[in-house]
Amino acid sequence: MHVPLLIIGGGLSGLAAALRFARFIPDVLLLEQHSRIGGLNSYYYRNNRLFETGLHAITNYAPAAVKNAPLNRLLRQLKIKRKDLDIHQQNQSEIRFLDQESLLFSNDFSLFEAEIANKFPASHPGFQKLLQLIDQYDPFTPLPFISAKQVLQEHLQDTLLTDMLLCPLMYYGSSIERDMDLGQFVIMFRAIFLEGMFRPGGTIKDLLDLLLKHYTDYGGKIKTKATVKRILHTGKKIHGVLLSDGQEIRCDYILSTIGSEETFTLLDEPSSLEILPRLGFVETIFEIEKSTELKQGHDRTIIFYNAADQFLYQQPDSLVDFNSGVICLPQNFQDLPESPFKEVRTTHLANYSEWKSLKQDKSSYNSAKDRVALTSLPVAEKILGNFAQNIVYRDTFTPLTIERFTAKKNGAIYGNPVKIKDGDIGYDNLYLAGTDQGFLGIIGSMLSGVSIINQHILPRL
Amino acid sequence: MTRDAIRDLILEIIEDIDEDADFDTLQADKPLRDQLDLDSMDFLDIVMELRKRHKLQIPEEDYPELATLDSCVNYLEPLLADA
Repeated sequence: MHVPLLIIGGGLSGLAAALRFARFIPDVLLLEQHSRIGGLNSYYYRNNRLFETGLHAITNYAPAAVKNAPLNRLLRQLKIKRKDLDIHQQNQSEIRFLDQESLLFSNDFSLFEAEIANKFPASHPGFQKLLQLIDQYDPFTPLPFISAKQVLQEHLQDTLLTDMLLCPLMYYGSSIERDMDLGQFVIMFRAIFLEGMFRPGGTIKDLLDLLLKHYTDYGGKIKTKATVKRILHTGKKIHGVLLSDGQEIRCDYILSTIGSEETFTLLDEPSSLEILPRLGFVETIFEIEKSTELKQGHDRTIIFYNAADQFLYQQPDSLVDFNSGVICLPQNFQDLPESPFKEVRTTHLANYSEWKSLKQDKSSYNSAKDRVALTSLPVAEKILGNFAQNIVYRDTFTPLTIERFTAKKNGAIYGNPVKIKDGDIGYDNLYLAGTDQGFLGIIGSMLSGVSIINQHILPRL
Repeated sequence: MTRDAIRDLILEIIEDIDEDADFDTLQADKPLRDQLDLDSMDFLDIVMELRKRHKLQIPEEDYPELATLDSCVNYLEPLLADA
């Protein structure tokens, strides 16, 4: 078997890349290791219903008229109609540093500006300057690391505000600890604060099915439960792949979306990338009775909280750090279709190795998962009001769960802290897209797949 | 293909990329990208559609030839002479 393009990984970046390519050249094969597509943004069935994994909210909301916005560029590139996404905007989200300060934001940026002007008046002029910097900054030019924290501090002269601005941006897309690169900060600031958040009216399965249908309608092929054992190459020239079932597939180009080190492993080549700690997370889904009123929830969509004196976005020494995290209320988007379910989702930073060492003993692993849910619960209740008595089902994912289902090394959802922005890892006809290329989030990862295809592969075929 | 037909072909491709594209005020000798809010990603669609529809292989170094409607027609006229 021979194809012009082989894509490894059926997550959103791989799917978008495949769809983009198949629009013009249908002869493309997408390989997915799992039985189900979606990667980090997928779903599973439990308790007679579908649960989404990954998706809290989609960042990069933009009205149709803003043609150069990432969302609209992506839709054009994939020829997907905006109405097929069935966009529902967030109500309102919040950054809450307990016993310190709270900032509300929505898809109307003036709310966030007013909040900052009211609550941090001394920093407001600096914030305006920061907005100018964000407006003019080109985050796509490769530059050495510039500390976003330092730039923020210089502008705002207020460590609390600096940390409050960083908290959502780190939780929704930073693979590095304690700081962000300025370019990544600008991308995330635009995606979350200047643009905003939404979700589709259907489930993530509907979105994946839509992408897959467009792809197969163009003639694209997909193979699930297909594990690549080795990438076949002579020096820097790729010939194809060997699957674990012994099948060999030849190709002209490979797009790998499985991560940089994961790709080097398949090439049987050492990765020369610097090794930095990868960030793991735990997430608990609490399904609650539909009639539950969250007394202090105020219809918030997402709450990014910190309860410690100082906000620390870093790998904890223990299993989980409950001092900060994300609380997501997936029903709180505008005009969502009626659903029989209501959820509270909590996310915290976790330590992969600690979880790994527990795994030897299934019962202690399971009881640790229970402990996580039961410790996270009062943290969420303190913010939302009580709902423990209304829980009908709960489930907890650890970094091991994520590693098992997505094959992301150490279950690190944001991948390698070292990003390869141009997708070039030194081979003639193999490129990298997805998490380790550096565009994050659902829209970001899809644009990653599309732009690497556009930049490196389509013009050459 | 006549010059007019090539012109229509290009406009048809652009309309396919962006159904709201406004051709009424389009100046044929000015860059398409500035006038139509097209970015480089959209621009690649023109190249790829020409390839798909007319088996035209436009090398990357010739992409600047497609900058304006006039230059598109000039560049494509000999290539699509038999189309």
